[in-house]
Amino acid sequence: MKTLILSTSALALGLAASVSVANAQDRTLTISVYSFAQDAYKEALYDPFEEICGCELVIETGNSVERMAKIEANAADPVIDMAVISSHDALALAEQGLLAEIDTSALSSHDLLYPSAQDPLGNGMAVGYTFYASSIVYRSDLVTVESWADLLSPELAGQVALPNITGTQGPLTLMMLNAALEQDAGDFSPTIDSIGESADDIVTFYSRSSELAQLMLQEEVIAAPVGRFAWSRFQDTPFPFAWADPAEGQAGGMNVMIMTKDNGNEELALEFMDYWLSTEVQTRIANARIDSPANMEVEVSDEIAESLTYGAELINSLTILPPEDIIANRDAWVDQWNRTVIQ
Amino acid sequence: MFENRREGLALALPAATFTLLVFLVPVAIFLSEAFRFEGSWSLQGYVQFFSEPLNQSVFFRTLRLGALVAFTSAIIGYAAAFCIVNLDGKARGQIFGLVVLPLMISPVARTYAWIVILGRTGIVNDTIVWLGLSDTPIRLLFTETAVFLGLLQLFLPLMIISLVSAMENLPRDVIPAARVLGANWFQVFTRIILPLTKEGLVMGGTLVFTGALTAYITPAILGGSKVLMLETLLYQKVNVSNDFVSASVIAMILIVMSFSANLLLKRIATARR
Repeated sequence: MKTLILSTSALALGLAASVSVANAQDRTLTISVYSFAQDAYKEALYDPFEEICGCELVIETGNSVERMAKIEANAADPVIDMAVISSHDALALAEQGLLAEIDTSALSSHDLLYPSAQDPLGNGMAVGYTFYASSIVYRSDLVTVESWADLLSPELAGQVALPNITGTQGPLTLMMLNAALEQDAGDFSPTIDSIGESADDIVTFYSRSSELAQLMLQEEVIAAPVGRFAWSRFQDTPFPFAWADPAEGQAGGMNVMIMTKDNGNEELALEFMDYWLSTEVQTRIANARIDSPANMEVEVSDEIAESLTYGAELINSLTILPPEDIIANRDAWVDQWNRTVIQ
Repeated sequence: MFENRREGLALALPAATFTLLVFLVPVAIFLSEAFRFEGSWSLQGYVQFFSEPLNQSVFFRTLRLGALVAFTSAIIGYAAAFCIVNLDGKARGQIFGLVVLPLMISPVARTYAWIVILGRTGIVNDTIVWLGLSDTPIRLLFTETAVFLGLLQLFLPLMIISLVSAMENLPRDVIPAARVLGANWFQVFTRIILPLTKEGLVMGGTLVFTGALTAYITPAILGGSKVLMLETLLYQKVNVSNDFVSASVIAMILIVMSFSANLLLKRIATARR
């Protein structure tokens, strides 16, 4: 019996020791990224960078809220060195004093970025690395979509999904519906009420683009607003999906790179950001149809461009919802949404 | 078995320590948030939670669906269990195996199967349109009906297993004796079978009700954000709103509901003695 007890204890100690050894690394950069396309990112970005820097990348994935919560919880001793996140979530972190100013002089490709991506939050708190357009994907064999208001039309009743207000696409859809319904640009309240009145005609309020793609491939939904980054999910499918060019235009957004304050790994973080923003890597990522480039020098074929938010003309035409407006109004939107739409 | 009690305790120590550190302590810390508000101990989190109309409707929907699933599974479960215990050896084993089979399949796979059945192009809608009951497919997914069916299918086997186990202990002669003495089947069920299998009903009812309350995958897939239940609301509070106070309040409500259901069922069973 004593032998059994000793063996059990030795095994437990051995396991603990092996975990400790496995965690020991010399030059390590911990990054926090969205969880989609991680295999493609590994091939296009992570592996080549690890080879160049002779370091190890620790990749933490999750949705924005999970990743922001981790940054907030470890503010005193950051475990995340660098993160990519939406511009309004980055602004929320910056307002809490959790971000370090990015030394853009260390980013050799900084001047090659579209002007709006160079310092999107001010004070050097973030650098844009990708843009995305947001419009309506629809079944062209069943319906035609020419306006954002068509989402609430009788023709599409019972066959439309909308993004949840809590996601990135939710506020963008509100903004464009607001324009289509000719409401006051600064007040989404009447538009939320209109969605509430049509709530029974909306199949569901989706949270992830993968969820929407599944619903559309199962023919539960024939039209829905979505970010261009998800467009590849609808290509090469058995159904003729089309990307709408609504009369009110397309909405747009930007994801940014940030660096946590006092992480102690600033040099390596800047090295990684510089590599990611370089023309070479941004082109590779664009050709893999992962993210649309923020680097103006990137050139891709027409076929690849079709899958992306690509080119100065398109990027400059996007209607952007200012991050500070989202931060200021999000709680009120969610509150009204819960009362009038979900209720 | 052990030379002394210390050896037994020593063997249990790693498992106990593991459970304490990775389950009890984190859960206690998380749940303690439910009683804290702005830095001090308070029930304000509960007051705020129940003051929201959305939370109230989610609470009552969860309670209603949980009770409905438990009640329906008890009715179907009694019929199935009665059938199974009266079968011969081989057929009994085969039918019981079929009942247990769904438990060996992932709840995710089982729930996705309902999408195929209830979708606009699914079997049910195809049949409705073919029979001329409707010109166009009707909305079945993302409704309470879909969530109810998914939860019933998910937890019915637990009720059947509990009732089969209870019915196996029924004395073989009591039902024929009651019938010979003139009892009809309703009297046989209410005066013989129900009182003698109430332990199984309490066990099955608790498992099904608690399971329906705490299921996440099925309400999330079949109900989405339009048919929120407490578990899906809890997930939203943590992963979307980063609102850990409300999340811990919901977790505490779920625990209280589960224990209350168990106590209530036991009380009902005892009262009938």
